[in-house]
Amino acid sequence: MHLRNRAVSVALLSAVTLLSAAALAGCSSSASTAGASSGTSAGAASSACAPSTGKVNLTFTTWVPGIQAVVDVWNKANPNIQVTVQTGPNGNGGTYQNFFNQLKAGNAPDLGQIEYDALPNFRVQDGLTDLGACSEVMAAKSDFVNWTWNQVSFGEAGHVYGVPQDAGPMALFYRKDLFTKNNIPVPTTWDEYAADAVKIRALGGYITNFSQSDVNQFAGLVWQAGGSWFSNDGTSWSVNLTSPESTKVANYWQDLISKKLVSSVPPWTSEWNNAYNTGSDWTWVSAVWGANSISSGAPDTSGDWAVAPMPQWQAGQAVAGDWGGSSTAVFKGSKHVYEAAKFALWLNTSDEALTMLNKAANLYPATTAGAKLPALAAGVPFYGGQAIYDVFAKASGEVSPSFTWGPTMTQVYADASDGFKAAVSGKGTLLDALTSTQASTIATLKSQAIPVKG
Amino acid sequence: MTTTEISTRAGAARATIRPRRRPLAHKKAIAFFVLPFGVLFALFYALPVGYAVWQSLLVVQRVGTFGPAHDVFGGLSQYSQVFANGPFWTSVERVLLFGVVQVPIMLGLALLFALLLDSPLLRGKKFFRLAFFVPYAVPGVVAAIMWGFLYSPALSPFKAVTGRVDLLSADLVLWAMANVVTWVYVGYNMLIIYSSLLAIPTEVYEAARLDGAGQVRIAWSVKIPLVMPAIVLTTVFSIIGTLQLLAEPQVFRSFSSAVTSTFTPNLTVYSTSSVPDFHLAAAFSVVLALATFVLSFAFLKFTQRKGVQ
Repeated sequence: MHLRNRAVSVALLSAVTLLSAAALAGCSSSASTAGASSGTSAGAASSACAPSTGKVNLTFTTWVPGIQAVVDVWNKANPNIQVTVQTGPNGNGGTYQNFFNQLKAGNAPDLGQIEYDALPNFRVQDGLTDLGACSEVMAAKSDFVNWTWNQVSFGEAGHVYGVPQDAGPMALFYRKDLFTKNNIPVPTTWDEYAADAVKIRALGGYITNFSQSDVNQFAGLVWQAGGSWFSNDGTSWSVNLTSPESTKVANYWQDLISKKLVSSVPPWTSEWNNAYNTGSDWTWVSAVWGANSISSGAPDTSGDWAVAPMPQWQAGQAVAGDWGGSSTAVFKGSKHVYEAAKFALWLNTSDEALTMLNKAANLYPATTAGAKLPALAAGVPFYGGQAIYDVFAKASGEVSPSFTWGPTMTQVYADASDGFKAAVSGKGTLLDALTSTQASTIATLKSQAIPVKG
Repeated sequence: MTTTEISTRAGAARATIRPRRRPLAHKKAIAFFVLPFGVLFALFYALPVGYAVWQSLLVVQRVGTFGPAHDVFGGLSQYSQVFANGPFWTSVERVLLFGVVQVPIMLGLALLFALLLDSPLLRGKKFFRLAFFVPYAVPGVVAAIMWGFLYSPALSPFKAVTGRVDLLSADLVLWAMANVVTWVYVGYNMLIIYSSLLAIPTEVYEAARLDGAGQVRIAWSVKIPLVMPAIVLTTVFSIIGTLQLLAEPQVFRSFSSAVTSTFTPNLTVYSTSSVPDFHLAAAFSVVLALATFVLSFAFLKFTQRKGVQ
């Protein structure tokens, strides 16, 4: 009896569900065309960049720690442009997903933090306002390190889709004490790095940890090697995950993985922090903001670290890669583009804001003047008093401006990471991972009706 | 014998209600009481499901490399992608395997604990009832993070074991997760079965005792058959829960190299929607929901047929 009742109610429930679904499907085909047409009209209106009258309230979503204090400074000085900060997890950790949902629902904030690698994804989803009409933003172009401007303008003159905030030029963090004690010279080329890996393994340590699930680091290594994973000729995209440069980097690390010369603890975990904190891992090829990750994750090693330029593919070269870096973008649908752009510009170019951002979150400015901030000239105690930002300032100038991100990087990272995870578990290789991601990326672009070669 | 007894009892209850309903004099009152449920059901259940079905029938069109997207009706083309998607079906097989092993173990334990709590021999019932239920009060994500630490090869307090047997490896991680799910949900299922045990009238036990049955015999021949509906209910909930596994694999993904972005069907939906490919994600969800319905129905039908015999 009991049972039959339940079965009936479940049946009813599902019938109601299916019926309502059919009803919805029937009535909303007209709604979608209406939505599409209103979308285009909104697009035409937002290309202007005129000041609003009266008091303006802006919303800004970001995950930079301690940014509230910076925004407070702005709010105090600009009573007519008040900014409310909303914080969230880092981009791929959930905030991008929120942005996409908010854009679809039409209630995105005015401003949002978007890393360079995710900008094309937001542009292709029609989520960004082109700030090309904002003369103050365009005038600031020369203030920025040229490759960062390239990242936010996609190399198109007269257009810009965000204000560069920070950069992630890469260098080699290494345990100076261990290298000195064991008489191992600091590697300057990748060949030396691989040779040192053998020596360090013999001493019971690992030269580094291969990042199995944060593919962004690997992309930075490919960037340094002169590769670019995507290109866009204006009519279609090309996907080049298995370019010769990318293949070279993959084979290099696969060799270290196969010989068990690197550890492969999942990154950003307590286990990973522990590997550095206990001195089991000796180096980390990382971005400028990595300075913060080490000092907070491996507090017991304070004073033992130093920073050197990235190992090179050929002796005597001076090329760096980039890992990370964000922009402040104005979302489609913001009613106050002019004010939003003005705030974004202040946040990312004024000495006041840049100094505070560097103190609070170790952000490394994307402006050329920012690299000369007094705060960046001082020695850092955790790194034995070394003026580490000098190394990164030099690296920032050595980053190739031609690296292009694709329009579905979330998917690329997820798929490549699945393959990398298999590779570190002994199933397949890094190159296999890139090959299958190449195919899945092309398939994803096609499913999104994004023109792609191949 | 027991089944007939229940049905007559339920039938009697039904009979007393029926005359009051017949005139349907309280139409307004009925509407008043049903309306809140109806509205909430429509807004937060029927409408979202309907929206998902509609989204799954759309495809994207655009012009140029950065052209804005337009949704157009695409028929069942998303569904053909779903059925051609190898990793998705592998993940379905994975959770089915998970369910076949984990659900019986979990419900077996839940039933055992419920019977122990109901047995007159056990002391400290209140304490154990709470103790078994406490894990359910721990949010699933927190539970997964906590167990993740316990499983960690380098940091676990049980390093002697985890350092030797990698519980986060491809062979074992599914069962490591099964353990977490069992830990969280045993108490919850136990409580459902236990409350059903409490509803059994004591005369039944007296009769059994007069017939010379001991505690074990009463549990086996009286209690378990009488709480069968509750066990069936918890099984259906568990089947649904298994197919929708998300929190545990999502958390384990960050510290196990064996958990991919398509480890369970729901994780595939999540990954697809962060592309963002809402239409394909919606199609995955609809197929998953239908599979859940079919499995739950099949199980109900199966148990019903058994009940008739």
